[in-house]
Amino acid sequence: MTVNNMADPRRPTKIFRYKPPNTETNPTLEDPTPDYMNLLGMIFSMCGLMLKLKWCAWIAVYCSFISFANSRSSEDTKQMMSSFMLSISAVVMSYLQNPQPMSPPW
Amino acid sequence: MRHLVFLLPALLLLLALPDTRGRYNDDFDDGEDIAEFDDNDFAEFEDVSEDSAVDVEKEPPPRAAPPSIPVEDDEDEATVENEDGQDEFEDADAQDQDMYSKYDNEEFEGYEKTNPSFKDTLIYREVPAHLQNSWESYYMEILMVTGLLAYIMNYIIGKNKNSRLAQAWFNSHRELLESNFALVGDDGTSKEATSTGKLNQENEHIYNLWCSGRVCCEGMLIQLKFLKRQDLLNVLSRMMRPACDQVQVKVTLNDEDMDTFVFAVGSRKAMARLQKELQDLSEFCGDKPKSGTKYGIPDSLAILSEMGEVTDGVMDSKMVHYLTTHADKIESIHFSDQFSGPKVMQEEGQPLKLPETKKTLLFTFNVPGMGNTSPKDMDSLLPLMNMVIYSIDKLKKLRLNREGKQKADRNRARVEENFLKHTHAQRQEAAQTRREEKKRAEKERIMNEEDPDRQRRLEEAAQRREQKKLEKKQMKMKQIKVKAM
Repeated sequence: MTVNNMADPRRPTKIFRYKPPNTETNPTLEDPTPDYMNLLGMIFSMCGLMLKLKWCAWIAVYCSFISFANSRSSEDTKQMMSSFMLSISAVVMSYLQNPQPMSPPW
Repeated sequence: MRHLVFLLPALLLLLALPDTRGRYNDDFDDGEDIAEFDDNDFAEFEDVSEDSAVDVEKEPPPRAAPPSIPVEDDEDEATVENEDGQDEFEDADAQDQDMYSKYDNEEFEGYEKTNPSFKDTLIYREVPAHLQNSWESYYMEILMVTGLLAYIMNYIIGKNKNSRLAQAWFNSHRELLESNFALVGDDGTSKEATSTGKLNQENEHIYNLWCSGRVCCEGMLIQLKFLKRQDLLNVLSRMMRPACDQVQVKVTLNDEDMDTFVFAVGSRKAMARLQKELQDLSEFCGDKPKSGTKYGIPDSLAILSEMGEVTDGVMDSKMVHYLTTHADKIESIHFSDQFSGPKVMQEEGQPLKLPETKKTLLFTFNVPGMGNTSPKDMDSLLPLMNMVIYSIDKLKKLRLNREGKQKADRNRARVEENFLKHTHAQRQEAAQTRREEKKRAEKERIMNEEDPDRQRRLEEAAQRREQKKLEKKQMKMKQIKVKAM
């Protein structure tokens, strides 16, 4: 240990407050995954709703889950909830319109 | 008349015969007969078709058949359960047969012929899956829901694991940090600068800790960058490409805390990558990463340095000891007075100024375990934090000699000049546009001026200024010519 046992290195007068790093000037620091997944989820859910494709709606649900898992705590929960609700509604609407089970692509 | 009198009882007897037969049968049976016809209008036809199907080839029994014959017929039929029942119903069946015997024959002519062929061509239509009332047909949906449940389970487990690892790290380092810094833990939002004493959670896999209030430095930001254990996709991709948790420490220094030099040491891969990515390392440490075996550190580590004197100064015995003992955990160590982050992609047409620099020490440590970390492994990072503290104190004392200082200054001047050269054209353009803007603004002001006197005066002032500029330029040209001569 190189801390001088005689003198306390702490200086209460030299305290600087924490400033969160400005991510606007340095966009490489940010992880783009939650934003991409959010967008992808919305696109898939719209496809599922409009084109009545069940698999689109299911993928949208997955995308919104992934987006939620990767999101930052500072992010708005409303955005997450809205994309989640949209994907759930896409799944429900697809099944209401056509209750047949999903057929696998093979 | 007498014949009529005898006929009447005979008729009555005839009428009573069915009654007697009915009386021979149980009342229950009689009631059933009537009930049968009452409830189900087609019961009679049902019985008829059954009988005719069975008895089509036999001669229809005579109307007033004795009970013995219906018994035979009943024996042929397979539907009677017990003898009592047989006795009860045989008369009813006999009755039906009597009534519809002729009808049976005519009705079912050729029935047998069509029967077999009808069975051969029977087609079973497939019932649509959603009407089948079986869950098995929805197996894709069940798979999807199972996948979602697995994702949620993994999210909860991963989040908890990361949280436990972070807490374990903090518990093992708390004492050291609190003895060195006046402020441990700050999220920047509270009014007063008081230690929160806990990690600041940025993400489910990134935890921050800001420490401040110490000699020799402005502050220290520790980032625990764990793996994304809460994301199942990431977990699966890590099975193919293993990665490890990282602890990043960034110490920002005041101007007087460090002399002017740039130095880095770390794993070869990391050094190569940083040299390409970081602004200061690429500008000041142009040479390829050198092996550090000369100083006694393992070959797996490479050194990037601005000048040899810096390496000699940094690599003292204690530092070498730290590096040798914990070589596997060290990803990179970077000391720089010109730190400005990664290289910024320059956009065209933008007048650039030198990026802001800050005296910084950066440490990146790998948590042992390669992803399969347990909270106990966090204790092994404590010596590395000691190394950080040691480096902070050491760099305060490390000063370059005169030669080194001159070299460093020259390097910085060179870098600045290069930068200015590259952006010269852009800056000229920017200056030109600014001058034009100024002129235009002035002209507009003059035009907008309503008072003609003032207008004239302003115009004259502008003219005089232009004249002066021209004279200055001419003087410069003359001077250059004289120098050239």
